[in-house]
Amino acid sequence: MKCEEFEAIGLDGGRDASLSEAERAAIVEHVNSCARCAALLNSWQEARQELRALAEETLAAETPARVEMRLRQEFRTQHSAWKGRRMAVAASWALAAAAVLVGAVSWVMWREPQQVANVNHPNPAIVASDFNADDDSVTLVANNQSSDFTLLPGVQPGDIDDAEILRVRMQRGALGALGLPVNEDSASEWIQVDLLVGSDGSPQAVHLPQQE
Amino acid sequence: MRIVDQESDDVLLRQAAKGDEEAFTFLYRRHQAALYRFALRMTGNAWAAEEIVQDVFMTLMRDPRKYDATRGTVGGFLYGVARNRVMKHLERLPREVPLEEKNEDGTGPGIVLQDPATPASWAEKRERVDRVRAAVLDLPAEFREAIVLCELEEMSYEEAAQAIGCPIGTIRSRLHRGRALLMARLEILRDSPRRASVAQ
Repeated sequence: MKCEEFEAIGLDGGRDASLSEAERAAIVEHVNSCARCAALLNSWQEARQELRALAEETLAAETPARVEMRLRQEFRTQHSAWKGRRMAVAASWALAAAAVLVGAVSWVMWREPQQVANVNHPNPAIVASDFNADDDSVTLVANNQSSDFTLLPGVQPGDIDDAEILRVRMQRGALGALGLPVNEDSASEWIQVDLLVGSDGSPQAVHLPQQE
Repeated sequence: MRIVDQESDDVLLRQAAKGDEEAFTFLYRRHQAALYRFALRMTGNAWAAEEIVQDVFMTLMRDPRKYDATRGTVGGFLYGVARNRVMKHLERLPREVPLEEKNEDGTGPGIVLQDPATPASWAEKRERVDRVRAAVLDLPAEFREAIVLCELEEMSYEEAAQAIGCPIGTIRSRLHRGRALLMARLEILRDSPRRASVAQ
């Protein structure tokens, strides 16, 4: 072994696990035969003792307690802020979801009466205020002009000012009871008729849509 | 304390990330001393070492996801962060004057006389320690790190290489250069009092 090699691996040969037995033997042989390298090894061992003393001095060194206190304080601050942020986010989502739900329910509730009205009363001029599919008659509110109605016999035009419209299904023959002419061939036919009904409940005028 | 001291670092870190202060505290207590010693031996400055340890755990607290379990242990991660902070500190202050460490109560450094030696031998030991500390702090950072890890922390070459993230050959060559510089520096420091007394 040469002096350069000894300097590189010989000073700490005992700790270097990568050295082979042959290299270790060569280190021992070299230090026994080279006074310069023996002195170098001696010098390093002295230095190492001093390093040991330094290591011992700082062996028990620990971070001052105030650091732990600061860190714990910061930890609490940070995680309480996180919790606050998480709650704010959760509340935002909950509000948004509630708004969407309310919107959806309102839309559905608005759509359903519209559809019922449109299906049962294609005439946009008539809007059902009370509807029962099982009934043969419904109460209607209309903006029809009274001129579309035919006054029943004996009724004066001024009598229908407060009248309300009532849509009914009846057999054509029943029109005879209202004083209107009836074709006997079609007396049994079911028709839909709008009646103007006075405040006393008696019909004042009639409108036959099918005839238009 | 609960049974947190039985838990692995990874488990403690997960709990800490969820806001468990006790887990964070235990993780801190488990690693602070080694990190502080490393920072102290590298910087020679107790205040800097304190700041570095605090900074390391602040980093862990603020972004625990920076730790990747597939790349190493929590201890290795903390050491890596500490090492970066130390190097930044040394870059800012390339030459630290070694300070006398003071405890919080204003007393002397953590030196404890293990044996009741005479004041003369204590003073001699003190002088030797100061001398070697100055010599270590005088080394360039990369050589100093190798000396601190292998000679003061007593890590094996493999452990030191893993900690620094370099091949074992690099550790060996840094130690070789570091030892040569250290011995030369110690020789100068040993001789300087003699020269001073001769001059007088």
